Amino acid sequence: MNPLSNTIAHASRIRVIAFHAFTQLVRMKVFYFLAFFALILIGSNFFNLPQHEGPEAAGVNILHSIKSWSLGAMTLFSVVLSIVATALLLPKDVEDRTLYTILAKPVPRLDYLAGKLLGVLLLVFVSLAMMDVLMTGILHIRTNMVMESQVAFAESRGHSAEQIALLKSDIMAQGATASLQGAVFSVFLRATIIASMALLISTFSTSTLFTTIISFLIYFMGHFQADARAAYFTSEAGTSDSFLARGISLLISLALPDFQLFNVIDAVIEGQVLPLFILGKLTLIGLFYAVFYVISSWFIFAKKEF
Amino acid sequence: MQLTQGKRYAILGLAILGMGAVRLPFERGLTNELTDANLMPPKLEMGTSERIGQTFSAVSLGGLRTLVATFLNLRAYGYFTEQKWADVGETFDIIVDLAPRTAYYWDTGAWHQAYNASAYYLHESELAPLRRELNWRASVLRGEEFLKRGLRNMPENPQLRQALGVLYSDPNKVEAFGEPEVAYAKSYDIFIAAPGGAEANGMSRRFALYSLARIPGREGEALALVEEIIKTPKSRTATVLNLLYTLRYFADPEQSVGELIDAIYPDRETAYELLSRQWGRSRDHFPMHGVARGISLLELQLGVPSERSILKQKSLPPLRVDEMFPKGR
Repeated sequence: MNPLSNTIAHASRIRVIAFHAFTQLVRMKVFYFLAFFALILIGSNFFNLPQHEGPEAAGVNILHSIKSWSLGAMTLFSVVLSIVATALLLPKDVEDRTLYTILAKPVPRLDYLAGKLLGVLLLVFVSLAMMDVLMTGILHIRTNMVMESQVAFAESRGHSAEQIALLKSDIMAQGATASLQGAVFSVFLRATIIASMALLISTFSTSTLFTTIISFLIYFMGHFQADARAAYFTSEAGTSDSFLARGISLLISLALPDFQLFNVIDAVIEGQVLPLFILGKLTLIGLFYAVFYVISSWFIFAKKEF
Repeated sequence: MQLTQGKRYAILGLAILGMGAVRLPFERGLTNELTDANLMPPKLEMGTSERIGQTFSAVSLGGLRTLVATFLNLRAYGYFTEQKWADVGETFDIIVDLAPRTAYYWDTGAWHQAYNASAYYLHESELAPLRRELNWRASVLRGEEFLKRGLRNMPENPQLRQALGVLYSDPNKVEAFGEPEVAYAKSYDIFIAAPGGAEANGMSRRFALYSLARIPGREGEALALVEEIIKTPKSRTATVLNLLYTLRYFADPEQSVGELIDAIYPDRETAYELLSRQWGRSRDHFPMHGVARGISLLELQLGVPSERSILKQKSLPPLRVDEMFPKGR
């Protein structure tokens, strides 16, 4: 078989396994309801919720509140889904004996793992895309409402066209911007890293619960990685930290992913612009982790006996 | 060579560390880049995690700081409706730790403390006057400090600058900062230094004038500023015209009041209406030079019966803290 047809065969197998995993997860009603719940949570912003009342939600602040609420729901949903769905995949295939059927065929284990991971990521992507469409729609409507009322007020107060144009651009900056789409993508990138990391853990884990708990722990600890790294480099600059403390800081920095990097969503919610090159760098990091964890998973899984 | 599973784990461990060494400089550089671009949230203050509780702490560390801030904002609103001012202040301290670049948290937190809490203590008759006064003053100062902290985080934010300038020029709060003229001077300094376009500056300059005109001894400066401001027709608000009148009168009390009025106001009816309004604002520390004379002249010319003269209304002196918190109550 020539290399091209070999690659096509790999891609085809991965695609089949990915769609199978996707269907398998969709049929698990718990994820169905989870996605439905997240959609309701975001959709509820269309109505006047308690957080939309009061002077602190006046004007563009309501847009801030909607973005914060929606991206929060997306983050929460994507993290839970990535970890739990990935943790379930291998044990479920073992339990259903599907794994034996697949591995008895000439399916490389790397293709199997990559396909399973892509199935989870496809589900996360589709769910996030649905939530994003909903959030963008609501933000668009709310932005227009805010724009109408504030421009009418500015006109009634006799402000110049220049000032009104400035006001409009301020309001638009708080609406559904390209940076906001970038923030949603960074939520997806973070979910990609978590899912691939959970896949690695599940290859040597003894139970779904173990994979889930360890993955959540690493997820939370990953938000301290930047602090550990800073502590290591600061102490290197001349402080009298103990050798042990420096060693632990270095170990955490090397072993854990830096999830703090993906917290750019907070800045975007606050109205900052997310430059494309930053998003590109985040994508590179996300791909780097995903590829590394998949290859590592294969390395452990390749000779595993069932 | 056949590797045992144990050896595989060992190799995996080394690979993870090796991969870490490869990505470490890149991640470090990217973190610096994000920090420089204000895209990386600042570290949480020591103790914030303890104050927000374990659940919220975990959630906020999990990349949901702004969401936690939104929830806490809701909680703070609840405390506000229940008039639990200490809880309002503490909650906003946490909120701004979580989302320090959101101006409206700083603005709202300061507003709750400097205005709502202080008004509560002003009217709360259950407390002893001394306690009310102390709490009132502390609330205003907490609001001021909150805005100053906000400005340290966002030095160029016009919303926070304006909020602080307005707080320093509130006649009902100036005494909390010491002598009123000190607060008015601070307000003036903030407004006169406000950046922005011509129109934004126009408003800031008017606000600067309102503060400067209330500082005894700086009438000359105030007159120069108001003369500058009235060159823009849109800036000829009622207060600006009245200040122009009082400051010109102060500069030359011997001049003809009739001519002064004619030079400033579009007609005598308007002049009477606006000067009467000024007469009613004596508690706001605005200068009253020549206002009574102007009104007397206008009432004579407009045929206002003496029993209906606006001057019959007593011009009260500015409200002092002693009056707000009478010792006998």
